[in-house]
Amino acid sequence: MKCDFCGRWFSEDEARKECRGCAVFGGCKNVKCPYCGYEMPREAGWVRWLRTRKEKRS
Amino acid sequence: MPGRCHSSAAPQADPSLRKIVLVGNPNVGKSALFNRITGTYVVVSNYPGTTVEVSRGRLRLGSTDVEVEDTPGMYSLLPITEEERVARDILLESHADAVLHVVDAKNLKRMLPMTLQLIEAGLPVVLVLNMIDEAERLGVRIDTDRLARSLGVPVATTAALTGRGVKELIARLGEAGRGRTLPEIYYGPEVEAALARVEPLVPARAGLCPRALALLLLQGDERLEETLGLSAADVERMAEARREVERRAGAPASLLIPERLHDEAARLADEVFRAPEAGRVTWVERLSKWMMHPVTGLPILAVVLYYGLYKFVGGFGAGTVVDFLEGHVFETYVNPWVNDAVTRWIPWRWLQDLIALDYGVITLGLRYAVAIILPIVGTFFIAFSIIEDSGYLPRLAMLVDRLFKAIGLNGRAVIPMTLGFGCDTMATMVTRTLETTRERIIATVLLALAIPCSAQLGVILGMMSAEPRAMAVWAGFVIGVFLLIGWLTARILPGEPPMFYMEIPPLRLPRPGAVAVKTLTRMQWYFAEILPLFLLASVLIWLGKITGLFDAAVSGLGVVMGWIGLPKEAAVAFLFGFFRRDYGAAGLYDLQSRGLLTGNQLAVAAITLTLFVPCIAQFLVMQKERGTKTALAIAGFVFTFAFGVGALVNVVLTALGVKL
Repeated sequence: MKCDFCGRWFSEDEARKECRGCAVFGGCKNVKCPYCGYEMPREAGWVRWLRTRKEKRS
Repeated sequence: MPGRCHSSAAPQADPSLRKIVLVGNPNVGKSALFNRITGTYVVVSNYPGTTVEVSRGRLRLGSTDVEVEDTPGMYSLLPITEEERVARDILLESHADAVLHVVDAKNLKRMLPMTLQLIEAGLPVVLVLNMIDEAERLGVRIDTDRLARSLGVPVATTAALTGRGVKELIARLGEAGRGRTLPEIYYGPEVEAALARVEPLVPARAGLCPRALALLLLQGDERLEETLGLSAADVERMAEARREVERRAGAPASLLIPERLHDEAARLADEVFRAPEAGRVTWVERLSKWMMHPVTGLPILAVVLYYGLYKFVGGFGAGTVVDFLEGHVFETYVNPWVNDAVTRWIPWRWLQDLIALDYGVITLGLRYAVAIILPIVGTFFIAFSIIEDSGYLPRLAMLVDRLFKAIGLNGRAVIPMTLGFGCDTMATMVTRTLETTRERIIATVLLALAIPCSAQLGVILGMMSAEPRAMAVWAGFVIGVFLLIGWLTARILPGEPPMFYMEIPPLRLPRPGAVAVKTLTRMQWYFAEILPLFLLASVLIWLGKITGLFDAAVSGLGVVMGWIGLPKEAAVAFLFGFFRRDYGAAGLYDLQSRGLLTGNQLAVAAITLTLFVPCIAQFLVMQKERGTKTALAIAGFVFTFAFGVGALVNVVLTALGVKL
């Protein structure tokens, strides 16, 4: 996914590592950019499902 | 002066070409090019000891097979993510005969710093300007011959998706590593002096040339220290060299080195890259520059705030939508029906109070959450997602960088400050991304004091949208307090003003789908968090009423309300505010809609509540991030200061005879 602040790309797995040491342990539904620390909403399950379907079709 | 690394044993071209490695930023078409080169013979496996996938394939060149490896996306030789660490390790260990640096031709300037790093590292680089078809369609012109001469490496143009230029690229692979002439980049006296001390400590035959490795070590690459097996004494020498650079240059090497690379890349790009003469791209670029320039950027910011927050969140969200849900749906239908049903069917007064009437979980907790906070937060999240998706935030960071330096921060602090408008608690955790402890403390104080959360801000804007003069007083005081306290804190805490540097991603039109998804996700998360808390707050208030503690606290706080010129009923809102800021703001909204506040009182209440002590969640995070002593000190200061400023505003307005 792409960071909305710095514009860099990273994988959600990579971003999940940023949740270590956080008080809410990723329970906030946010993704933290490993490059700049900006937090943005994690892709919801239904959005991922739709995107995967679209990608498969194309 | 030719680079020292460049004279080292260069890998020979055909027929001894044995291994090719592809590197580059994510999303530049690297994998598409890899597939074009290798065809179907591809093996995907995890890099040893990691979950990062690496693809390997073969390219048939005449009668020989050449191994081709596709690395995970990387932005720099200094890794931050595991993918980047793997890509860097491959470069260190693979001893490739050709390193194809694949870049997006449209964004050459942003990608050249890594090209410079790779060449500087003594690698046999071939620069591949991919997506050249898209660049040409946009009217971009690149002088590839001049670029090749300046860099001293072969430069090829490709469109990997269509296959254009791939054959020519393959034909030129043999040129990799020949005739490199890139002059050594000069990093300034402080860094160069440190390099002279650090370079002899780097072991020979470490994959990259010693100067490049020394540059990485100077930037604090701990992983590289491990990989190179440096002794504890050498690690300490490296750390001392880093401290020395920071002492002498006033900025860390981790900032000075990328900045210098960026300048060099910008100079090169200016020589060889021609953007389209006219059209949409140029207009967007111009707008982007205006957004960052103080003269034009501040009016643009004012327009964004006026329409995005004041009109949309304050006017539409907190006005129109709340009026409908609160005034029409709840006050006309839900609350009367619930009150009636409860008093009719439940004989016990204590249970009636818990469910309905003045402070019941439905008539107060649910009403606050659904009818007041949700529409406000929803409209705020829509506005915020549009701003975020357009790429405006990094430009805002550049705009406020100079102003923030006066208060001991820099443009990077825009990240926690902006997130603070969403939720101060989360933003307090994000302060850890700031470079120094000093910056983190300043940012934490300002978040606790002068940054209202989304619900608080929306409620305040909603209440004041009909009272523009009270709003002006509120905005003036809050901005003034933000700057004054930031300035004072920066004077009290010792330290140098930090530097800030970032690459600006392109500006774009917000995508409706992305905005909708972000807004819904944020609303879903926010509502799931606040609803139970609001209901719990109602239960606690109910308990407080049964035990008499609530009334005692309200009458105690009522005295303080008197000091700042507010009616004693306002004590209830402030008591709610202890629990959660947005709950307190909703209480204030209730008071105002019942006509209990004059214009002056509205300004005083809004200012005090904005500066008010952080909610319980924020206090706990402050305690975790900054320690109990600092958290208590911040909370104690904020609490006293908020009421002090409230009293001052009241006195000033009364003394001047101002009636808002």
